[in-house]
Amino acid sequence: MAGLHKSEFTNPVIRWVDTRMPVFTMMQKEYGSFPTPRNFNYFWNFGALAMVNLMIMIITGIFLAMNYAPNTAMAFDSVQRIMRDVNYGWLLRYVHQNGASMFFIVVYIHIFRGLYYGSYKYPRELLWMIGVVLLILMMATAFMGYVLPWGQMSYWGATVITNLFSAFPIVGDPIVTWLWGGFSVDNPTLNRFFSLHYLLPFVLVGVTFLHVVALHITGSNNPLGIDVKSPQDTLPFHPYYTIKDSVGICVYLMVFAALVFFAPNFLGDPNNFIPANPLQTPADIVPEWYFLPFYAILRSVPNKLGGVCMMFGSLLVLFVLPWLDTSKVRSARFRPLYRPFIFVLVVSVVILGMVGAHRPEGIWVVLGRVCTAYYFLHFLVLLPIIGKFERPLPLPESISKPVLGGGGGPLPAGAAAKPMEKA
Amino acid sequence: MMRVSVRHTLRTAALACALGAVALAAPARAQEAPVPPKQNWSFNGPFGAFDMASVQRGFAVYQNVCSNCHSMNLLHYRDLAGIGLTPEQIKAVAASFTVPLGLDDQGQPIEGPALPSSQFRAPFPNEKAARAAMGGALPPDLSLIFNAREYHGDYIYALLTGYADPPADMKMQAGMHYNKYFPGHQIAMPQPLHGGDVSFPGNAPNTLDAEAHDVVNFLAWASNPEMTTRKQIGVRVVLFLALMTGLTYAVKRQIWSDAH
Amino acid sequence: MDAASGAAVAPAVGSEQARTDRRDFLRMVTGAGAAIGAGAIAWPFIDYMNPSEDVIAAGAAIDVDLSKVEPGQQITILWRGRPILVVNRTKAALETLQEPGLVGRLADPASTVHQQPPYAQNWHRSIKPEFAVLVGICTHLGCLPKYLPTPDPTTPEANWPGGYFCPCHGSKYDLAGRVYKSVPAPYNLPVPPYRFSGDQKLRIGENPPGATFDLASVVQM
Repeated sequence: MAGLHKSEFTNPVIRWVDTRMPVFTMMQKEYGSFPTPRNFNYFWNFGALAMVNLMIMIITGIFLAMNYAPNTAMAFDSVQRIMRDVNYGWLLRYVHQNGASMFFIVVYIHIFRGLYYGSYKYPRELLWMIGVVLLILMMATAFMGYVLPWGQMSYWGATVITNLFSAFPIVGDPIVTWLWGGFSVDNPTLNRFFSLHYLLPFVLVGVTFLHVVALHITGSNNPLGIDVKSPQDTLPFHPYYTIKDSVGICVYLMVFAALVFFAPNFLGDPNNFIPANPLQTPADIVPEWYFLPFYAILRSVPNKLGGVCMMFGSLLVLFVLPWLDTSKVRSARFRPLYRPFIFVLVVSVVILGMVGAHRPEGIWVVLGRVCTAYYFLHFLVLLPIIGKFERPLPLPESISKPVLGGGGGPLPAGAAAKPMEKA
Repeated sequence: MMRVSVRHTLRTAALACALGAVALAAPARAQEAPVPPKQNWSFNGPFGAFDMASVQRGFAVYQNVCSNCHSMNLLHYRDLAGIGLTPEQIKAVAASFTVPLGLDDQGQPIEGPALPSSQFRAPFPNEKAARAAMGGALPPDLSLIFNAREYHGDYIYALLTGYADPPADMKMQAGMHYNKYFPGHQIAMPQPLHGGDVSFPGNAPNTLDAEAHDVVNFLAWASNPEMTTRKQIGVRVVLFLALMTGLTYAVKRQIWSDAH
Repeated sequence: MDAASGAAVAPAVGSEQARTDRRDFLRMVTGAGAAIGAGAIAWPFIDYMNPSEDVIAAGAAIDVDLSKVEPGQQITILWRGRPILVVNRTKAALETLQEPGLVGRLADPASTVHQQPPYAQNWHRSIKPEFAVLVGICTHLGCLPKYLPTPDPTTPEANWPGGYFCPCHGSKYDLAGRVYKSVPAPYNLPVPPYRFSGDQKLRIGENPPGATFDLASVVQM
């Protein structure tokens, strides 16, 4: 019969399945022998960590949903019941709550790796854009998830952020009413946020699959930013990177455990322990820490629509990053003029985070505007200009040149195409 | 052999600082009241645990003083097993409270002695009744008050012991009391504890200071009943993960020994 | 390992074999650690689905005041989601329970099948003969049998002495919950754990001191 796969496995059960649906062959190809650059540093762990984190969030989330009641009259108390009466409910809740923070820590570092080493540049532009889609989906999921406990900050954060859409002329108010399902954030809003919060992680899984597919077509970038030239430049993913990822996972779990067991509410807001009250606004409405830089950008513009556009713009600008950066060199290791600016960007974003946590008064307003300006300057002005004028350091001949020794299999399709090393 | 360049180390350190800065920056609040002084709590720190004798005394204070105005709706009498009460003691404590017990055969609401499965008796049936009795103010439910205030135990202790005469230039609104640590300094609650409000078994000290400490311990437990277990499990988990990190790293070095 | 001789020969320290052994040992320990970790992670998820504290508390023993139950009257108490029938049986009703004419029509008159606690394994299937305590769920397919205590010459069958009749498929039980022969239901109605906490007070869900009985152990609910 045409179409049956010729399986290389010897175990009869595996062979039977693999002949009819070559999942084992696929796993062996994509995660077993897959030729991976031999010079990864630990920054390359963070994609795998993000995948592990997503699995943890989905599993804990499904179990939490067994006891959560998505109704304004019961939501807060149902979460407390999980914390107090359900066996190990406190553990699953704290893992899920702090898992959101860990997810953003991991993903922000993962993004930094991409920025620093030029992983967004040819031929990985689509990979990068899929990544930005993943980030936006993550942010939507986290935003809706935070509303579910129906505390003061859940309610007022939802109110502030959904109200932003009214900034759009003509369509703004109808959109907000449509989002709410009523005249304010209330039970219909909570219910639909629960439904979508349950759905989006599975969309994330699907888009992650696309992300990995795109990655496996081009092959991974590496700290030198130069293309793989020969099998000597690579190692099979298993066992070299399966074990290295295992080390990373242990460290990641230690950080996670320290949060969950010893400081589970450190990153949270005390106001969310007060049930939502539409008649009382907390003294300071603050989103979770991972949204603070965007919150600061939003508030740095005195005009409501302007602030909304800048906030969304800060994400949209990431989409076009591959075309903004004119440098022919990928890795910042060889871009001495550009490198300090990346650190200025990181510092700016950190300062924006602090700005977002404070009331918009005094020095914080100035800092917010300066750093917002720098953020857009960095992407829209500096990246195009620096690439044109920079004299990059000489690139090494190949990844394996300094190191003797073999390893690795055939090159992944497409990786041996145009090498990027002309100065 | 992993080459750790200076550049790399600096970059990692910068990221660590960045994360730390964002984390520390997160809980920034308006300065409307002084930061309460730090106290020593037995539950602080990675090896912290509740002093159950103190928690029990704090429950006695809640029962006799605070529960006249403050509900604790998230707690049930059976939860008191977590602070060391026996099933008989729990039954007795529960039975000493009269709570709504459903409907009689005519469909009329009835009351009776609480069961272990009953919620803590609330002083008022609903918010409106509470406000009516309290001159418009609502005494907050205390189940999560420890978590719901930024400085947690230090704040509650400072509040309970922070009543004083108002400074000469402050105009107090009608029915309000001056408190050094309440945001805005004007609190509707009159000073609830003065020392000697409750007599404890074994003649444990019942000065204002001692009572306030006991109340904080009880409220800390009420907000986080799982805390002692959580920290005990946490120590084991982190140690186990540290061991696994070492083991996996050793295996990693082994596997990579032929790659460099 | 020397396969030929079958005896374990310790390799020289520093030899290729010793290095391999150390490597395998290290990997085995690491793998074992990972397996232990995975098992330890699994338990909280499994236990999470067990009954929670509030559910267990809601299923605690229930007190019933018998002083309001008239002779011949049945009340139904909900315990752990199931109807518990408490009947104040009249003298006449108790007399019928021992008549050979009835006993001959029953499938398990001596309650040999484990459907009741040991202290209810008697002709009246209870602690005190006057009070029946039964789980009101038909052992056929789970419907709730009707209480028909009045003797009747024809309905629901000839010489009906009083008992229970299940409307779904016609199973019949006597006033001690013992099932008739040749009906769809296979077993007597279960008896839950209970005790008398006072002369006129029942406590459903607790055994008398010294007895152990778990309702989950019966053959058929």
